Amino acid sequence: MKIVKVMSPRRLAALAGVFGTAFLAGCAKNAPQDVWQPKGPNSEKINNLDLVVFPIAGVVGVIVISLIVFILFKFRDRGQPIPKQSHGKPVLEVTLTIIPALILSVVGVFTVRTIFELAEDKDTELIINVTGQQWWWEYDYPIQNEYGITQPIITSGQMVMPAGTKVMLRETSRDVIHSFWVPSLNGKKDAVPGRIHLLRMEADEPGIYAGQCAEFCGLSHANMRMEVIALSKEDFAAWVQNQLADYNAPAKESLAGQGEEVFLNQCVRCHQVNGLKRADGTPAIAAPEDNVYTGAAPNLSKFMTRNTFAGAMFDLVNSKCRKDVWGASAQEFGAKYLAGVTEECLNTSDLRAWLRNAPAVKPMYANPEKLGPTDGKYRGMPNLNLTEDDIDKLVAYLLTLR
Amino acid sequence: MFTGASKYFLGLTAAAVAGFVLYLLFVTPNDLGAIALGAVMVVAGTLAGITLFNRDAEAETVQDATGAAAQPLPNSVWPIVCALGVALMAVGLASVAMVFLIGLGVLVIGSLEWLIQDWAEGASADNKFNTFIRERAISPLELPLFAAVGGGIIAFSFSRIMLAMGKSAGAILFIIIASAVLLVGFLVAFKPNFRGKIVTVLSTVAGVALIAGGVGSALSGERAELAEASREGHYMHKECGEEKSKYFDKVANNRVPLRSAVAATIILENGQLRAEIIGFTEPQKSVTIPKSNDADILFRNKDEADRRLVLNLGTETVGDTGVEEKLYTCTQLTGKNQENVLVVKIDKQSSVGGPYTFTVPGVDDAIEVVVP
Repeated sequence: MKIVKVMSPRRLAALAGVFGTAFLAGCAKNAPQDVWQPKGPNSEKINNLDLVVFPIAGVVGVIVISLIVFILFKFRDRGQPIPKQSHGKPVLEVTLTIIPALILSVVGVFTVRTIFELAEDKDTELIINVTGQQWWWEYDYPIQNEYGITQPIITSGQMVMPAGTKVMLRETSRDVIHSFWVPSLNGKKDAVPGRIHLLRMEADEPGIYAGQCAEFCGLSHANMRMEVIALSKEDFAAWVQNQLADYNAPAKESLAGQGEEVFLNQCVRCHQVNGLKRADGTPAIAAPEDNVYTGAAPNLSKFMTRNTFAGAMFDLVNSKCRKDVWGASAQEFGAKYLAGVTEECLNTSDLRAWLRNAPAVKPMYANPEKLGPTDGKYRGMPNLNLTEDDIDKLVAYLLTLR
Repeated sequence: MFTGASKYFLGLTAAAVAGFVLYLLFVTPNDLGAIALGAVMVVAGTLAGITLFNRDAEAETVQDATGAAAQPLPNSVWPIVCALGVALMAVGLASVAMVFLIGLGVLVIGSLEWLIQDWAEGASADNKFNTFIRERAISPLELPLFAAVGGGIIAFSFSRIMLAMGKSAGAILFIIIASAVLLVGFLVAFKPNFRGKIVTVLSTVAGVALIAGGVGSALSGERAELAEASREGHYMHKECGEEKSKYFDKVANNRVPLRSAVAATIILENGQLRAEIIGFTEPQKSVTIPKSNDADILFRNKDEADRRLVLNLGTETVGDTGVEEKLYTCTQLTGKNQENVLVVKIDKQSSVGGPYTFTVPGVDDAIEVVVP
């Protein structure tokens, strides 16, 4: 009753609504970036730490806030005389020092132990280099013959790894600080230019694990997403084999063949497709270092083996097929993912919108008239002013990159 | 001292300056926003100056100051400083831009000091009080600024002298100056009679000598060896052979920094090269470096001889001549059990521009560099 007197019923209802919504948000079932749903041993370790620290922090928080609220109301100014002032209460001060010190010691023991466990790198089984840039992630797999990786593999958007395997990410950045965070597999780790930071990943089961850049990195930070794809060891071997397979050029007279020509004229300035050749038979080599500020653009080899594009901001598969892949059981997942993006499953509308005018659908520094600060180079994909006819051809060509 | 309105306008000026600087740094310059914030800054600053100077025209405050003019005013050095600033600007206009900028700086500082002194002299009829409030207003800015300028002049003068002298003479001079400073320090500490005027005179003479030496050295230029190397770009040209480079190996190297979180540590031991890479438990014979990205490579020499790490970057055709030129970069010679850092950035995939390798001249081994 007293609270209602101090605060109007309308404000009280609004406050209850805000806290109620925040509280109920914790009950969401479909929350792929929920830190409380660990799907691997590393996130399990963090979760186990949370289970100790959060109750302690919660109890301390409730006590402190309750005391503050109590004091605010109990001793609020009602015109009463100022009480007698005193200075120093040694017993109280020592007690209030010792209690937090003890609490922090308990929390510290568990925290430090977890930090050391998460930093373990001696039993690494697979290494992936992860490079952040505005606003997408690049994954390259150094040569590791035991996994059939006899040549470097380079991809983006979705990082593929074998489930039940201790994978070590070697993170760095080409421009500003980013942070790689897939909550269900591990905590976040900053990707810092010029430095290599390690982050262990391990998934218990095959599946898709969503993540998000966790360090503000500029205009499209919110659109810099990532997905980790865990496959069974056999499926991962199949994925590796496909990534290293030769390029299959489409027939010249087909729509895809005409799309290849458009790709060679427009896209290859920045995007590499391994094995792609020009009409004279020379390899078509992308030169993003001449056009993009970071010197890199996503390698589009085997593009249709991924489910996302544009820094994992958009799905490459339509919602029906995406549900089918995301909802697949651990046993069925590999086969469904490795099937890649078929013509029936292609998310044509988002892909076409991207090709039509990329900066219109994802904020980027791609206005050719405002590139002074970056020496005339783009940060993001510019509008290529493609015709609808060109877009038809390009979509047909991209569908062959599988 | 600071009345209500002047505090308000000073605060507004400070906020506008901060906003203006942040806007220029983080938002597009040459914009209406910058013009608006600049205008607010100038207007608020002017109003702050006016209100500060006339003390808000508050009758009581002004009344306190009446009679101030009746007392003889202390001498002021600031008109001379301002005149010097103007003279330097005029000289700078006719000679070097830097002299003009120094003159501008001197003029701004002199004007500010003059204004503050004038404002303080009108504060009350008591000169002591006026001096007190002047120091209170300006000392927090004046002392660090003059200390920085003085330190800069000393460092700059000293550097010019060292660059003009021969290497051996420079070392001897350095020892003499350091010994003299130590001696004076001892005398000041243990001989009370030595303090006061003697120290002032000695400091003044030393300061004048240093500045005069600096000016003279700057005019005579760097010693012949440095001038030649600078003219011909010797220090930019990396000689990456086995032998000691006449110039490149004299440049300050990267032995100290960048030791943590490097992309790879390449170790030369018993005539063999191996790469220790964070994340890999076993030594490697190939290093993967992301394209177009700075990667720090630490070279550790465990060989008896001085060695350098060379990154071979393939070849490049020189213009239309058809001549193939080798591309490479390297560390300086690195002694036994010492380290050096090589920062590399490769813009072409190794399948296109390669093969790329790390080698050590005089050692028959290599580490492959893969750029995917």
